[in-house]
Amino acid sequence: MSATAETYLKTRVSIMSERLLDARALAEIGQLTLPALAERFDLETLVDDQLPPRVRARAVEQALIQLLLADLAVLLRPMDATGGSLLLAWARKYALFNLKTLIRGKVYELDQGEIRRQLYDLPERVRLPHQELFRAENVLELLRVLETGPLRLIARQARESYEQRREPFVLEAALDQRYYAELARTASRFQGEEAQAVAQLLGAVLDRTSLLWLLRFRFAFGFSPSEAFYQLVPSTRLLHRERLLRLANVDGFEELLDALPAPLDRLLAGCGDLSEVQRRSNGLLLEECRRILARGRFGVPRALAYLILREQNMRLVYALIQGRLLGLSQEVVDIAIDLVEPKCPTRLPAAA
Amino acid sequence: MLRPLPMKHVRLLAMTQDLPQASLTLAETESFHPDERPPQTQALADRPGREYGERYRTAATRLEKIAKLVDLPATPQLPRVHVVHPDELAAVGSLLRERWEEASRFEESFRRLDDEERFIRDQEASLANFANLKIDLGKLRSKTRFLDFYVGIVPRQNVSRLEGAVELADHLLFKYLERGDSAHVIIVGPRGEREAQLDSVLTSAGFQALPIPSDIAGMDPRRKGEELETRRAEVAGQRQTLRAELARWEREHRETLIDARRTLLLAEPFVSLDPSIHSAGHLAMLSGWVPARAVPMLEERLALSLAMPFDLESRDPRPDERRLVPTVPVKNRWLAPFAMLVKQYGIPQYGEVDPTPLFAATFLLMFGSMFGDVGQGAVIAAAAWYFRAKLGRFWLFGVMSGLSSILFGFLYGSIFGYEEILPALWESPIHHPILMLQIALGYGFAFIVVACLLAIYNRFAVKDPAGAWLGHHGIVNLVFYLSLGWGGLDLARGGEFGTPPLLLVVVSLGALAVYAWRHLDAPPGEKLLVVLIETLETVIGYVSNTLSFLRVAAFSLNHAALSLAILTLAAMMGPTGHVITVILGNAFVLVLEGGIVMIQVMRLQYYEGFSRYFSGAGHEFAPLRLRRGSAG
Repeated sequence: MSATAETYLKTRVSIMSERLLDARALAEIGQLTLPALAERFDLETLVDDQLPPRVRARAVEQALIQLLLADLAVLLRPMDATGGSLLLAWARKYALFNLKTLIRGKVYELDQGEIRRQLYDLPERVRLPHQELFRAENVLELLRVLETGPLRLIARQARESYEQRREPFVLEAALDQRYYAELARTASRFQGEEAQAVAQLLGAVLDRTSLLWLLRFRFAFGFSPSEAFYQLVPSTRLLHRERLLRLANVDGFEELLDALPAPLDRLLAGCGDLSEVQRRSNGLLLEECRRILARGRFGVPRALAYLILREQNMRLVYALIQGRLLGLSQEVVDIAIDLVEPKCPTRLPAAA
Repeated sequence: MLRPLPMKHVRLLAMTQDLPQASLTLAETESFHPDERPPQTQALADRPGREYGERYRTAATRLEKIAKLVDLPATPQLPRVHVVHPDELAAVGSLLRERWEEASRFEESFRRLDDEERFIRDQEASLANFANLKIDLGKLRSKTRFLDFYVGIVPRQNVSRLEGAVELADHLLFKYLERGDSAHVIIVGPRGEREAQLDSVLTSAGFQALPIPSDIAGMDPRRKGEELETRRAEVAGQRQTLRAELARWEREHRETLIDARRTLLLAEPFVSLDPSIHSAGHLAMLSGWVPARAVPMLEERLALSLAMPFDLESRDPRPDERRLVPTVPVKNRWLAPFAMLVKQYGIPQYGEVDPTPLFAATFLLMFGSMFGDVGQGAVIAAAAWYFRAKLGRFWLFGVMSGLSSILFGFLYGSIFGYEEILPALWESPIHHPILMLQIALGYGFAFIVVACLLAIYNRFAVKDPAGAWLGHHGIVNLVFYLSLGWGGLDLARGGEFGTPPLLLVVVSLGALAVYAWRHLDAPPGEKLLVVLIETLETVIGYVSNTLSFLRVAAFSLNHAALSLAILTLAAMMGPTGHVITVILGNAFVLVLEGGIVMIQVMRLQYYEGFSRYFSGAGHEFAPLRLRRGSAG
């Protein structure tokens, strides 16, 4: 990227980061009523009608994603191919959600209209070519369509497992795995000091994901070390391949947390369950994003950090609106908010 | 021909149950372009065709998928045009579902055969590799008391993770071959508790076990090759049987499927109209654009076909709707290829002059004058005629360009570069370069004046008088340009620029500067800077654009000079060398210079012409049609 484009991007990110909600703003919006929330985030038309809460919540979610993708479109403009491909690879998670919805819909034989309602409306460069997939009338047909596209390797391996187990987990796990592997591969295209800055951020994302998956697969799903390791994506930061191999072989939840490298061991010490680990590791990731956004030298990692934080904000707003639509008590809403936007217990130095 | 076909906006109020019939009638007339704007009244909030559309799309998707397996005509004949009732559409959807379930089984069987063939190929590759290994693989065929073996194929991208995963189960992975996306691997480890863990990992990794022949150590490669060949033949036999079954199935259901296609074709107009239809209870409204001369015929056809009362109201397009009115394209065989080139730039907005005839005339004039040669023109025309089947409508473009080149070739007296064979009806460019440059400059001046006049006409036509007077290439600009031309001509004749043209130049530029100043929303300093730069740009722009046409003369000179160079080279050769040099040289001129001239003419047309007077912001008239073919 040229020096001018880099400067423009950094200025853009700085201006856009003014939109992020700080602790005070979070506390304020946590107390807002539904109409006030709708007005604050320009969603009046979506919540002010006679539709059922589920439909309205869906429309709100869709509108919030569009806001995020509009930010993405602005940030992509000055970027070169490498930077742009990283942000697009990150945003394709929404295409992946759509694909999983389709697969689940076909496996459980849901009505086409119901499946369509669950899909996100995405811009072309983020979208997967799922029209053909949508038209499939059963799982075998869906797998056949997948086999003719860029996901053919996943489809082939998923076919056997599906025919044996008749459940979509293996296929979904393969899709998730591929998403993060693709993200890591895109990050490896950067060069020089910018590559280190990108690896730092992507490492934080992958560390969090691998840790949660490892704990979930080993202790919630009861997978063997081999099975659990196979589903993970090694990070370039803390949880690299060799470390994951060692961790996958640890047999207890607490023992695994004790065996984690610093600063994860300190941060997660005393976590009694997976949701607590999720909460704290989320906090660590957000802290890292804020650090990169405030002090990062390069535009692309700062832009990605901004998008991660913005997405977190959107999820929080969505959780709030959903809570209000369903008439949940403030106490329950607060718990949900804390899960989405956890307060990091310690201010940790940048991890090596 | 230059003016657009007058259009009317029509609004049809009909009973909801009459809508399918109304759609069919509108489609048959091929004169109704739907207007998809939502109605202004909230009362018409219903979308009566939504469910019908859903049924149609489901059925059409199924038929499309079936048509990938069996050959079905896309547009069969429609012996009887009738309204497709929603129940009939639903019945077709159910029938197609059954047929697709059957067809899908064929597709799945074909896929399995493909898989099997791929597996045989992998086995062949694997066996060829086994033969080179220095271990007795026969011992790997079955699990031993202490050791566990897996030999098979895995997607390449999964190898690294699988290696780690098997390591955790105390096994080792050895990759012995990579082929395409797959890697051939052997996994070895102790038998016991951890062995069981591997099965699910191997499944997740897409591992496919390869059978190892019992006698691999002393295996005769030819015999094994024959075995695999036999299996391959079996698969081919199964494929043939499956194809025969599919053909039988196709024969059995062909008529039903074609009937389904007919039903869907008849239902299509109503579905296409869906976004334009709005209703409230039993009353429905749809609107669109119709050529003014077709409105009475449309009303008559609706009166004949609709069972219930209806109301068809038509009016002229309002000024604010001008951008929405579709433009009916020029239908002229000779202009069709030029229309395609104009379309690359844009569609004329309703009311704008259609530039196609002017484009065609000036294109041929410029191409001929820049590439004037009887022989080379004849080659272009003959080649376009010979390849007419491949060129489609463009063959006429090639023929006309060639003929224009021939005409100018006679004027210049040039045939395949020789200027001594044919007497020039006018002058040879190479001998009168200054005259050619003067003519090109005069032509450019006239071209820009005509472009400005068209721009002015178009602005008035789309009710933009301010733009016509003071906008880019408007009346004031034209006054400036003509004054500049007047003064320039006097200067060129050895006189002075003259006071009257100078005054006109200053006044027109002053008017443009005031207009720009009033339309700028910025601090005074910035305004001053912008106005100064814009004024300067106007002067420089018109001068440089006029000079741009010198390329017309330059290329005619270039063409003659290139031919001269080739003939000079040829003269240095013997008789055979002379002929070869002339042929190759002419081919070189035709391909390279011909291409460059084409690009230059297009550049002059698009940049000096269209950018002045043609917005290209319109959209093409695309009427509702009933697709019906002749294939049975």
